[in-house]
Amino acid sequence: MSFQIPIGPQHPALKEPISLRMTVEGEVITDADIRLGYNHRGIEKLAEERNWIQNIYLMERICGICSHSHATCYVQAVERLMELVPPKRGLYIRYLVSELERVHSHLLWLGVAGHEAGFDSFFMYTWRDREIVMDLLEMVSGNRVHYAINTVGGVRRDLDEGQKAKILEGVAMLRKRSVYYFKIGASEPSFVARIAGVGLLTKEQAVALCAVGPTARASGWDRDVRKEDPYAVYDELEWEVATADTCDVLGRVVVRVKELLQSYNMIEQMVQGLPAGDITVKAPRKAKPGETVSRYEAPRGENIHYIKSNGTEKPERLKVRAPTLANYAATVVMLKNGFIADIPLIFAAIDPCICCAERSVTLVDGRSGEESIVRTSDLRRRALARPANALVKGKAVWPF
Amino acid sequence: MALLRTLLYLLVYPGLIFLFVYGTFSEWFDRKVYARLQNRMGPTHTGRFGLLQPVADFFKLMAKEDVVPEAADKGFFNALPAFGLAVVSTAALLLPVWNFNLANPGWTSFSGDIIVILYLLSLPTLILFLAAWSSTNLFSTIGGARVLTMLFGYEVPLFLAVLSPAILAGSWRLAEIAAFYQARPVLLLVNVLGFVVAVIAVQAKLERTPFDIPDAETEIVGGTFTEYSGKKLALFRLTFDVELVVASGLLAAVFLGGFPGGALLGFVFFVIKTLFIIFLLSLIRALTSRIRIDQVVSFSWKILAPLAVLQLLITILVKGFLS
Amino acid sequence: MTDAELIAKLQADLGSRAEIASPGPRRLFLKVAAADIVTVVTRIRDAFGVVFLSTISGVDTGTAFELLYHFSIPEQDLNVRTEIPREVPRVASISPVIPGAILYEREIQDMFGIVVEGIPDGRPLVLPDDWPEGQFPLRKDWKFVRPAEVIPGGES
Repeated sequence: MSFQIPIGPQHPALKEPISLRMTVEGEVITDADIRLGYNHRGIEKLAEERNWIQNIYLMERICGICSHSHATCYVQAVERLMELVPPKRGLYIRYLVSELERVHSHLLWLGVAGHEAGFDSFFMYTWRDREIVMDLLEMVSGNRVHYAINTVGGVRRDLDEGQKAKILEGVAMLRKRSVYYFKIGASEPSFVARIAGVGLLTKEQAVALCAVGPTARASGWDRDVRKEDPYAVYDELEWEVATADTCDVLGRVVVRVKELLQSYNMIEQMVQGLPAGDITVKAPRKAKPGETVSRYEAPRGENIHYIKSNGTEKPERLKVRAPTLANYAATVVMLKNGFIADIPLIFAAIDPCICCAERSVTLVDGRSGEESIVRTSDLRRRALARPANALVKGKAVWPF
Repeated sequence: MALLRTLLYLLVYPGLIFLFVYGTFSEWFDRKVYARLQNRMGPTHTGRFGLLQPVADFFKLMAKEDVVPEAADKGFFNALPAFGLAVVSTAALLLPVWNFNLANPGWTSFSGDIIVILYLLSLPTLILFLAAWSSTNLFSTIGGARVLTMLFGYEVPLFLAVLSPAILAGSWRLAEIAAFYQARPVLLLVNVLGFVVAVIAVQAKLERTPFDIPDAETEIVGGTFTEYSGKKLALFRLTFDVELVVASGLLAAVFLGGFPGGALLGFVFFVIKTLFIIFLLSLIRALTSRIRIDQVVSFSWKILAPLAVLQLLITILVKGFLS
Repeated sequence: MTDAELIAKLQADLGSRAEIASPGPRRLFLKVAAADIVTVVTRIRDAFGVVFLSTISGVDTGTAFELLYHFSIPEQDLNVRTEIPREVPRVASISPVIPGAILYEREIQDMFGIVVEGIPDGRPLVLPDDWPEGQFPLRKDWKFVRPAEVIPGGES
């Protein structure tokens, strides 16, 4: 007996509205259909009517968890258009906040993964540690979410010695706790049984469907924008791209854990090597006509902004593609042939930031309607057309 | 006079009021242990140490609006919560706490009452399935299917594990089994394997993590209880609390040597031993994550059932050795 | 390979089909005609290993629609630009070549009214089901008029 289960738009497993329509037989999913559009806010059209500075605050509100990534990606592009070079100290502070944001986002995700798997104790512990990061961010920028620390030409607030010492202290405590808890997570058999072998995405599928972020890196595809397009600071730090080769949710957990530990190192290097100087340069009101593409590695994957300017103080066209949208196609492939019990885990494993993925124009007056995306049959045809390679099932190597 | 005594027996002690009080107390204990293991506070403000929190929850639910879906089977839907509570309360009457007088078998302590208590503990699972079925909601149907699938897994190991000490004691009456082990405490060690199996199987029966699949909030919204609200939900939750008391009482009677010492001392032992078992159950709940339904069934049949059979074998050997 | 080497190789390979510009380090902009887009994309995928598509941007320049396909390889970003006339906004789909392009092409269809020919699944992606036909929000001539607020049961 096969019937359709709707997950969403309202469901306890989803933090934001999206509709997944699964066709199931017993407990096995035979088909999946994702529908978007519930969270549209018309940001791209709105951005054309605001000047360069106002747009920073608009960009931040695309998302709560990765707000700084959108603001930074935008500001990078605008600085390139205006041919500004922010001072080193400003850049260091900006990317320090980026790495702190990455830490907070990954800890949040680990808690959510634990909760979706039913492992509530893990959830409580990682979110308790996340409070340390939130306090650090509040100390640096004044807000726990939406840091508003970027401005065109640099950053708005400076760090003093006391704050630097507190950051180092916090990171040391976090590192100790993270290693301890992840050892527990790795050795808790019921948790590993839930996440191993679930949500398989081979490397060929990930490449064909243009997946991004930890989702792609867990399939062994080592693309990281911070290594490829190092914006200002990342080629001065010592760090490595985190990959795993198990192609499943366990691989994604391992990749994020590795990224956490790398981020702790990077934060320490940045705080200890913080150069002296100004934190900002003065930016003109208008930008020269031109166009630029800016890419940034958000916690969820590659964030890309394309800005075209026509010489005025407002952008001619601002295009944002947030990482979750790139992972939707891969999600549909992952869901097929899974169990119902795995739906929340598979969907959570791409770290969906649904409000990030929906910012193109539509000013929806009143209710939002139903949207459909790609049909699985099409993606399935494409994925199967490539020669089916053996699924890589390596043993996940925990980083300690 | 006898009628009044029976009514008091049924309603006050060890009847409904006592079960209500002790059931909510066990729920408080469980929630407090779970929270402290997670570095949280747990219930704190309602009453001293938050003791009245489950009571407050019960009364809050009783006061809420009761919504019955239109397509639901109204007769079953409305009657099942009360039926469930009745079943577990009857099972509670059979515990050997208040019928410790061996020489005086009454209608709550008779040869074969261990089988009756196990049977009465299986009924809530069927009631849950019927509740899910009569809700006619997609998520409830899946929850009901999962409940029955789990039943196929843990029931056999539970029965085997609980009946092994009975075989060693040579009696089917709970009071006599408890008395047997009180006289020879060393023989309790024979049943350690069965105790472990029984604790795990009881965790599955009570549908707590790692076996809370039928009630998996992040997957199927509310599972069996998706459509229940108000008084009926309150009664269902009370059913689970009382089932917790009965199951831990059963395990304490059979594996931990019962409740010796007459009326007052026996009651104190009852509280201590049941809280110990509830502590073990909470520990398991805090330290594991939810596993999938197919993993439950395969775990039960590949690990629990063989261990229970092994326990039975050990019991039979020891019995032969002793006689 | 460095930017200069890549530009030289691309110029040699694609010849007159593409005009290549490099406004900054690691950024290449290729301009191709709309009819050549599928051939060029296939060629750079097969010969240069360009498989990763970030997104497809559409720009309304007033006289035409400009489409930018943002590709990237580990050392450079390649942005392939093509222009289609406003009166006949049609372009061929690159989904047979790059399967991950499907969502972005559906978004362009919704937002600009561009017809992507050969798209495997052309359902609307981001607009509501009851969106009126022929309204394409990202075109420059589409303005949003906020409807007058009606207070139910009160004075309007």
